[in-house]
Amino acid sequence: MTSPNGNGSARPLVLLCECAGTLRNIDFDRLETHAGLHADVLRGNHWCSRVGQAQLLELMDAGAGGEAGARLPRQLVFAGCSPDFAARRFTKLMARGLQLEIADIREGCSWVHGDDVAAVTDKAARIIDSSIAYPDAPADTMSYAERHDTVVVVGGGVAGTQAAAELAQMGHHVELVERRPFLGGRAARIGTVFPTNDCGQCLPTTDAQAGTRKCFHRNVAIDHPDLAIHRRSTVEAVTGHPGDFQVSVRTLPNMVTDACVNCGTCETVCDVESSEPGKKAIFTEFYDGRVVRTVDLETCTFCGKCAEECPVEAIDFSQSPRRTTIHAGAILTATGCEPAPREHYEYLGYGHDGVVTQVELTDMLDDWAAQASLGRMPVEELVMIQCAGSRDQRHLPHCSRLCCMIALKHATRLKTLFPKMKVTICYLEMRTAGVGYENWFLDARKAGVEFLRGTPPEVQFDGQGRPVIEVEDVTAARKRVLRPDLVVLSTGMVPATDLEKLTETLTIDRDQDGFVEILDRKNRATETSGEGIFVCGSAAGPKALIEVNTEASAVASEIHNFLTSAGRRGTAASQVDAAQCVGCDTCSTMCPFGAITLVDRPESAPRPAEVKDDGKLAVIDAQSCRACGICAANCPEVAIAHNLSDDALFGRIATMTQGVEQPVVGFYCKECAGAAIGLSGQRRDRYPEGVRLIELPCLGRVSALHIVEAARLGAAGVFLAGCAEGRCQYRTGDTSALEQMQIAEEVLAEAGTPLPLELWHLCAVDRMSVGRRIRMFHAKSVGDDISPELIEREMELIGAGAGALAGAPAGACEGGGSCGRGH
Amino acid sequence: MAVVTEAGPYPPAVIEEFERLAEACRICYQCGTCTSSCPSGRELYRGPRRLVRLILAGEIEAVLKSDDLWRCTECGTCTEVCRMDIDVASVLSRLRRLEREHGTAIHCAERTAADVASEHLHKRPRIDNLRFGAAMVAKGHLPKDKVGAAEMGVKLALQMLPFGRKGPAGAAGPAGDDAVTLPFYAGCAIPQDHALHGLVHEVAAGFGVRLDEATDAGCCGHPSRGSVGSQFVSDARVYTACPACDASLEEAGLEAVPLWDALTERAGRSSQIALQAAGPAFVPYVGCLADRDTALAALGDAAAQSGAAMVVDYPTLHNGCCGALGGMYRGASKASARLLAFAAESRAPVVTTCVLCRDNLRSAARELKIDVPVHFWPEFFTAVEHTPEESTDD
Repeated sequence: MTSPNGNGSARPLVLLCECAGTLRNIDFDRLETHAGLHADVLRGNHWCSRVGQAQLLELMDAGAGGEAGARLPRQLVFAGCSPDFAARRFTKLMARGLQLEIADIREGCSWVHGDDVAAVTDKAARIIDSSIAYPDAPADTMSYAERHDTVVVVGGGVAGTQAAAELAQMGHHVELVERRPFLGGRAARIGTVFPTNDCGQCLPTTDAQAGTRKCFHRNVAIDHPDLAIHRRSTVEAVTGHPGDFQVSVRTLPNMVTDACVNCGTCETVCDVESSEPGKKAIFTEFYDGRVVRTVDLETCTFCGKCAEECPVEAIDFSQSPRRTTIHAGAILTATGCEPAPREHYEYLGYGHDGVVTQVELTDMLDDWAAQASLGRMPVEELVMIQCAGSRDQRHLPHCSRLCCMIALKHATRLKTLFPKMKVTICYLEMRTAGVGYENWFLDARKAGVEFLRGTPPEVQFDGQGRPVIEVEDVTAARKRVLRPDLVVLSTGMVPATDLEKLTETLTIDRDQDGFVEILDRKNRATETSGEGIFVCGSAAGPKALIEVNTEASAVASEIHNFLTSAGRRGTAASQVDAAQCVGCDTCSTMCPFGAITLVDRPESAPRPAEVKDDGKLAVIDAQSCRACGICAANCPEVAIAHNLSDDALFGRIATMTQGVEQPVVGFYCKECAGAAIGLSGQRRDRYPEGVRLIELPCLGRVSALHIVEAARLGAAGVFLAGCAEGRCQYRTGDTSALEQMQIAEEVLAEAGTPLPLELWHLCAVDRMSVGRRIRMFHAKSVGDDISPELIEREMELIGAGAGALAGAPAGACEGGGSCGRGH
Repeated sequence: MAVVTEAGPYPPAVIEEFERLAEACRICYQCGTCTSSCPSGRELYRGPRRLVRLILAGEIEAVLKSDDLWRCTECGTCTEVCRMDIDVASVLSRLRRLEREHGTAIHCAERTAADVASEHLHKRPRIDNLRFGAAMVAKGHLPKDKVGAAEMGVKLALQMLPFGRKGPAGAAGPAGDDAVTLPFYAGCAIPQDHALHGLVHEVAAGFGVRLDEATDAGCCGHPSRGSVGSQFVSDARVYTACPACDASLEEAGLEAVPLWDALTERAGRSSQIALQAAGPAFVPYVGCLADRDTALAALGDAAAQSGAAMVVDYPTLHNGCCGALGGMYRGASKASARLLAFAAESRAPVVTTCVLCRDNLRSAARELKIDVPVHFWPEFFTAVEHTPEESTDD
C-alpha cells in the first residue's frame, strides 16, 4: 500500500481496491497514477477485510468521509465494487456516518469486460474521474414534522371497526366515522358467512377477553376510551398535510339517546312506514352494543307520539346536525363495497317474478329453513347464474371474488335443507382459491349440486311466467333448456355509494373499477396514492372476511409506523427556483406523489421577467417529495433543482464518454434496473468497453436534454433502463422517461442524426439476459450486423438449455424495444 | 400418433386473416353465452363458441370445414350478448368469406349442399338426395377429393333408394280411393285464425286428406307459446301444421310429422294429384323451430312438383330468425330485413312452413315498409287434379 501523499489538504481521497486480485484486466499502477492527478490515492488489496475496515475507521476519525472526527472534512471515493455490494460490506461504518462515493470499477467495469487491459483501465479511470468530479448528493436524514396522534377511520364495518380497535389498543386516538346509525357493516347483516358458515357479527377479542372472537355487542374492544364513534356521520372536507389533516365531519342526529332500553313502545305507537320495507320510522336493526334504536330521518314526521310514550324519555327530537373538525395524523378509508345496482343484471330477467339475487336469497333462506322443518319444499328446481353482470365489459369488468363462494354456500345449504331440490349452478369459472374454500366446492358436488359450465345470455319466461333458460353446456358442447322455479343471480359488488365523493375529498386515486387504488399491488396493499391516507378491506376491491380481518390488522400496524416514525433517510427533496418558475402546471401534474402544488406567487418571491405579478409558483412539499427527479426532467424552464443536478449529470455524461470511439450510453435507475445490471456484473456477463453506464435515482430523472447531450458527445446509441413494466418504484418514472426519449428521438431525427434509442424494463430476474441485451444493442448501435456468427456466439453463451433449440431458427429477433425477456 | 392433415399449407392471406381473427377473439372467456343465444342453436351442434376456440387453437382446417359456418344466419345475437364485446357475427362472416375465396379444396358438405341447392334446385327432383349425398360425404363414405361430392352423393342415393325418384305413373291409386284420415294436431296459432284454420282443412282435402283434429290438443307446451307441457296424449303419429308443435311433441316423445311434408310426399306419390303454386316463384323460409333440412327438402319438392322456382340465396336459405328469437315478435331482425329485401328484389313472395314466422314476418314487412307478401304453405300451395298426358308421358 502506498501511503497518502496528503498533507492536510482537502483533496478528495480515493480508496483504490484491487478486490483481492480479481480485477486482473485493470492496470492498477496506471490507474493509481491517473487518479493521483485529481486526488490522493490509497491503494488496497481488500478494503472490505477486517484490516481494511479498521484502516477506514482510522481515516474517518481523521476527518475523512464522515462526520466522526470532522477535523478536515474530506471526500472519500471508494473505487471497487458496485454501490449495492459495497453498502452491504461497509454497513457498520456507514451506520457511524461514513459517506463513500462509490466508483464501481468491478461489476461496472473489470468483471464485465475482456482482456483489453488498456481499454478496461481507461474506462475504470473515467469512472473514478466521474465520481471525484460529480459525486452524489450526500444522503440526508429528513425528520418529519410532528404528526397528530389521531386517526380518522372512515367506515364502521368489520374492516374499519377492527382497525380502529387495534389502533386504540396500540395507544393512538381514533375517531371512527360511520355513515349509518349502526356499526357492523354488511357482514354483520347478511346471516351466515363463508368459509366458516357461522354469523359475520364478530370481531377478534383483545387479550383481556376470553375466547377468540366476540359479537359486536359483546366485544369490549370497541369500548376503548380512545375510540370515539361518530354515527350517521360523513367526511365533508379534508385540508392540511400528511400528519396534520383537518377532517371536517358532519353528523346527523340519532334522536334516540343511550337511555333507550329497547322496550319497543315507540315502534308500537309509530304510524309511519320507513323507506325500508317492514320497518317503522323509528326502528332497530343491528345491535352493536350501544345504539339500540334510531329514527329514519327521511320518513319520520316528527309527530312526537313516540317521545310522549317512551317510558325512559330516550327520544330527543331537539337534537340537530352538527359539524366537528378533527385534527388527524392519518386517515383510513374502510368504506367497503355494496351489491351492484340492478341495471347490471336486468338482462337476466331481474325484476320479473322468479328471479332474485343471492343477497335476496339470503333473506329467503331463513324462511325456507323453517319450511324445511315442516316438511315443505318451496321450489323444486333452482338455477344459479354466476358472473351475472360481472367480468363483463358492458357491465362490471372485475371479478367480485365472493360470488362463487356465496353460491356454493347457498347451494350446499339448499341441498342440506331440501335433498330433493334440483340445484344447478351455471358458471363461467368456479373460483375457490382460499383457505378451506375448495372443500365447499367438493361438498357441493357431493351434495348433488349440478355444475353446468356455460352462461345464458338472457332469461325468458313462458306464458305462466316460469323462467326458461337456454344455455350451452360448454363441456358437453350441446345446448340445454332449463325450466327452473327460481333463478338466483350471483351479482357482483361495486364500491360504496359515497366512495367517489370521498376519494375526491381525500384527493386519492381510484382504480378502473372505481375502488380505492392501492399504492402498490404487490408490496403496499394498504396504502393509497395519498401519503398518510390508508385503505383496508373491500374499499379497495371486494374481499372475504378473512382478508378483511388480515388487512385491518395490517393497516393498523402500517398507520402505527406512519404516526410514530421520526423521519426517513434519503436524498434531499427537490426545490423550485422561483426566479425561473413560470407557474405552469407541468410539475404538479407529473409529480406521482402529489407533492407539488401551485400557490399564488408571494410578493417577495423573485420571478422570471415574463411572469406577471399575479402568477403562480410551484412549491414542493419536502415531506411528500421522494426525490425521483421526474419534475426536474420535465420542467420546461429547467427551474427545478434535483439533488443530482443537471450540471453533475451533464458532467458525468461528458466524463464517461470522453475519449471513446462510438460510445453507447446507458442510463439506468438504481432500483430494479440497477439490481439487474449489478447482478449481471456479478455473473461477469461481458459486454464491450464502449458501453458507458450512468446511474440515476429513478429513470424519470432523465430528460430529452441528457439524451441529446449524449448524442452530441458522439454516442452511437442510448438506452434507458428502468424498473419492470408498470412497476417503477416512483410510479411513473418510466413513462416520463419514455416521453422524454420520444422528444429526443424527434429532435435528433430533425437534426438529421437519428440514433438507436431504446427503453428497457428490467428487474432482478433479468440478470441472465441483460448482458446479452446490452451486447446486441451495442452491435446494433455501432453498426455491426447482427450476424449469424454473433447469434451463434450468443447461443453458446445461453448454454446447455440452448442445445435443444439449436435447430430453431435464430436471428428473427432484432432485440428491439419490443423484444421481451429471454432474447 | 399425431395425424397430419392433408390439407397442406394455406395461402398466406388465409393464415394472416386467421391471425387477425385470433387477435379479435383473444380475450374470449369461452363462457358459451354466444352459443347459448344462437337462434340456430337447435341445429348448430357446436356453435360460435367452439369456432372461436378452434380459431384460437389455430385449427384452420377444422374451422373452414365446419358446417356451422353455413348454418349461421348473421342475426348478430352472438355479438350482442358477448360479455367481452367480441364481434362474433363478423368473425363468422369473415370466415365464410375466407372459405369462399380460398376454400376450394375443402368440401364442406353443408356448403356444397347449399350451393348445389341454390344453383341447381330447379333441375333436381329431390333435395333429399342432396341431403343424403352431403351426409355421406360428411361421414366420409365418399372420396372427398373427387369432383362434385354432392353430385356423387345424389347418384349414389338414386341407385340405393328405389323410391328416390318419382315413382312410375299409375303406381298409386286415384285420389278418391286413396283418401285417408290423418290425426291432426292444430295447436294454438292456427285455430286462433278462423280463416286460416278453414284453409288448412280445405287444402288438405284437395290432397285427398281428411284431418281428424284432436279435440284434447291444447297448447303443445313450446316455451315460445307460453305453457307448461302438453296434456295431449296419443300413441299414434300425429300430423302438425306448426313447427313449434312439431318440436314440442317430439320432445314429449310423440312422433310428429309436418303436414306439409306429408302432403308434398303424397302428391309426389300420386298420379292423380298435382301440386299447384299460386305464383311462378317464391322465396322459402323455414324459421328457427323447424328441422331445417327436412323442411327445406319438402319445400324443394313442392317447388319441383308445382314448377314454381324456389329462389334462394345464402343465408336466407337457412333457418334464420324472423325477429322473435323463438318467442314473440320483438321487431325486425337483421335476418328478416335481409330476407324481405331479397324477396322484394326477386319479386317473389316469401313462403314459410311456420305459421309463427308468417305473422312475425308480416309484422316485420309492415315495420320495414317492404311490400312483400308472406304466405303460409297452404296459402301458396294447393292440390289440383293431375292431367293424364303427363302421366302417360312418364
